[in-house]
Amino acid sequence: MSLGVSDVSVVGDGIELVSHVSLAVEPSKPLTLLGETGSGKSLLAQAIMGTVPRGLTVSGHVSVHGDVQAADDQQARRKYWGRTLAVLPQEPWSALDPTMRALPQVGEVYQRVRQIAGGRPSANVRAAEDLAALHLSDAGRAFPFMLSGGMAQRVAFAAARAGGGDVLIADEPTKGLDADRRDGIVSMLRSHLEQRGTLLTITHDVSIARALGGAIAVMLEGRIVEQGPAVMVLASPTHTYTRRLLAAEPSAWPERSARASGELVLSARGVAKAFGERRLFSGIDLDVRAADLIAIIGSSGSGKTTLGGVLLGLVASDEGVITRPGQAPAWKYQKLYQDPVASFAPRATLRMLLEDVVERHGREWSVVEQLLQRVRLSHMLLDRRPDQVSGGELQRFALVRVLLIDPVVVFADEPTSRLDPITQQETLELLVETAADRGCALILVTHDHVIAEKLGARIVALGAIGSPS
Amino acid sequence: MNSLPVFVRRASRQQVIGGVIIVCLALFAVVVPLFAGDPLTQDLDHTLAWPSVSQPMGTDHLGRSVLARLSNAARLSLSVALISVATAALSGAATGILAAWRGGWSERVLVAIGDVVLAVPGLLLVILMTVLAPGESWPFYVGLSAAMWVEHFRIVRAASRSLLASPQVEASRLLGFGPFYIVRRHLAPELAPMLATLTIFGAATAVVSLATLGLVGLGVRPPTPELGRLIIESLPHYREAPWLVSAPVALLAITVVALALVADREESL
Repeated sequence: MSLGVSDVSVVGDGIELVSHVSLAVEPSKPLTLLGETGSGKSLLAQAIMGTVPRGLTVSGHVSVHGDVQAADDQQARRKYWGRTLAVLPQEPWSALDPTMRALPQVGEVYQRVRQIAGGRPSANVRAAEDLAALHLSDAGRAFPFMLSGGMAQRVAFAAARAGGGDVLIADEPTKGLDADRRDGIVSMLRSHLEQRGTLLTITHDVSIARALGGAIAVMLEGRIVEQGPAVMVLASPTHTYTRRLLAAEPSAWPERSARASGELVLSARGVAKAFGERRLFSGIDLDVRAADLIAIIGSSGSGKTTLGGVLLGLVASDEGVITRPGQAPAWKYQKLYQDPVASFAPRATLRMLLEDVVERHGREWSVVEQLLQRVRLSHMLLDRRPDQVSGGELQRFALVRVLLIDPVVVFADEPTSRLDPITQQETLELLVETAADRGCALILVTHDHVIAEKLGARIVALGAIGSPS
Repeated sequence: MNSLPVFVRRASRQQVIGGVIIVCLALFAVVVPLFAGDPLTQDLDHTLAWPSVSQPMGTDHLGRSVLARLSNAARLSLSVALISVATAALSGAATGILAAWRGGWSERVLVAIGDVVLAVPGLLLVILMTVLAPGESWPFYVGLSAAMWVEHFRIVRAASRSLLASPQVEASRLLGFGPFYIVRRHLAPELAPMLATLTIFGAATAVVSLATLGLVGLGVRPPTPELGRLIIESLPHYREAPWLVSAPVALLAITVVALALVADREESL
């Protein structure tokens, strides 16, 4: 057993955040820890590494290659950092040094952590080989901000591996990455396994667990509720939570049929937009009718958000015309944001913000009450500030705020990409249903084909080079 | 709205101490001149007198009441500081938001004016103003306001620009809210703490600048009592009457320290 966790608990303020967790990971047999935000899975990773924040109490034992240590002796694990235990960080951009080019960041680890003979020149040679193996030969001279999310993740991977650590802990390695980048990360993790490496992956993404195989442990509220070989857990889950988690995977969603649509509310002809030299899209023709459901899909950087801005009149297009048949006022065209927290004034309560909209548009507060009930939000939450409710709840508040004024078109910019799978499914279904109830057209931006297909949406694909396909 | 109770509740111990000192100074500057007598009446029979019951802080080299002179000087300094810093903050916030909002020519013109003002050292600007109307007190007010306006303008403009481009403001605009709502709901709550800190430090700078000008003989016209002038007038007598020179110096130091204590907020700036 190269990595063992026995009876580890993390307690803060008298609450068990991680409760009596035991795990064992063998070389070449990956273990994937599945769970939602707040389930304690990242804390468990910190307990293994010995980086649990001050103020929390850790108990139990951690073993690395047979060396059993008390989990609360956090200093003891230091000697393994980099050389034996490696962490693939959650947000690669913030893990990389923004002032250093990619190659020396990896080379530095060879030179200082692994301390290979030959100093910096040979360290950089090794680093260049690693980057080439990850198809990053051209990125060696790039600074982190010049890298895409997937590239930054690969550089972080190369840096994490360079120390020679054979026990790799990957904490949410696909967070914020597009579906097509996910496969790249998985193959990267596989290559680690092929070299007899040990891998513990922490994720909320069931598809990662499926792709990696090995074993799965499902974590809920600090406890492991189900554990076993991936094939078995995924095929016949025993715990209710696991079943819900699997059902929330987009591929398991029920199919919805396409909706009947009404009169034309928004039309775009030959719309094009470029930022400087870079052409985002051109020749976009799109008719949006009442109660339509349209999905805009494309990888990151393909201009999905910009297209939405053009359709809503927030961004001027370079070419083409946008027309809004019917005499609906401008505020009937609304938007839902990817990060709901950023779309609310941060220092006011949700009640104040909703009252503002009620007042501005001469609505009745009773409409708010009905909508809150419709999207299953409690009154108790009204007196909190936007950052004091969960992401899923806030996105539903955003939905209430928009529906309050009976919009004709809602442009939803990846409204659920930051939510856990179960919340994502709930929120998206609510969004699609409530929009349909009100005859409101919904333009949904997503990077997941499957979601678009399952919802029965009309698909507009933006290619990576920018022309519609 | 209910910002005062929240402000007091969030205040640290340092801020409470600073606030109490400021209130005491304000009382000294407002109440004491009412009964301390005329700061200009000379009594050449009692020059450089020690503190006594009739003259709590003694008299100066011309037999004038030090208490009356000091309290009147404090009133002048604090009121000029208060008015000029308030002018600077209000005009800075208004022009900063305007520049960030409108962009284009109005922004370029305002930024250019700001750069010009910034290119002249603040004190020099005030001195240039006093040349226009020697002996008056309004040039101090105008000069100090102009010098401090730049800081407020630049900070408000930078902060407003990123706020106005943020999704929260875009969402409110899409929902049909106008400029006043956006200023009130989105900009003001974010800008207020920054401006508060800037204003408090600005007030301290204004008090010190005024005293500096008095000290080098460029301040308000004598015999009007002013802190810097009090210091320079009593300097020759520091052996016979050390309280004469130490009183205005102490008042100046206490004012600046109290303002710095009030400004001490971890969250701001």
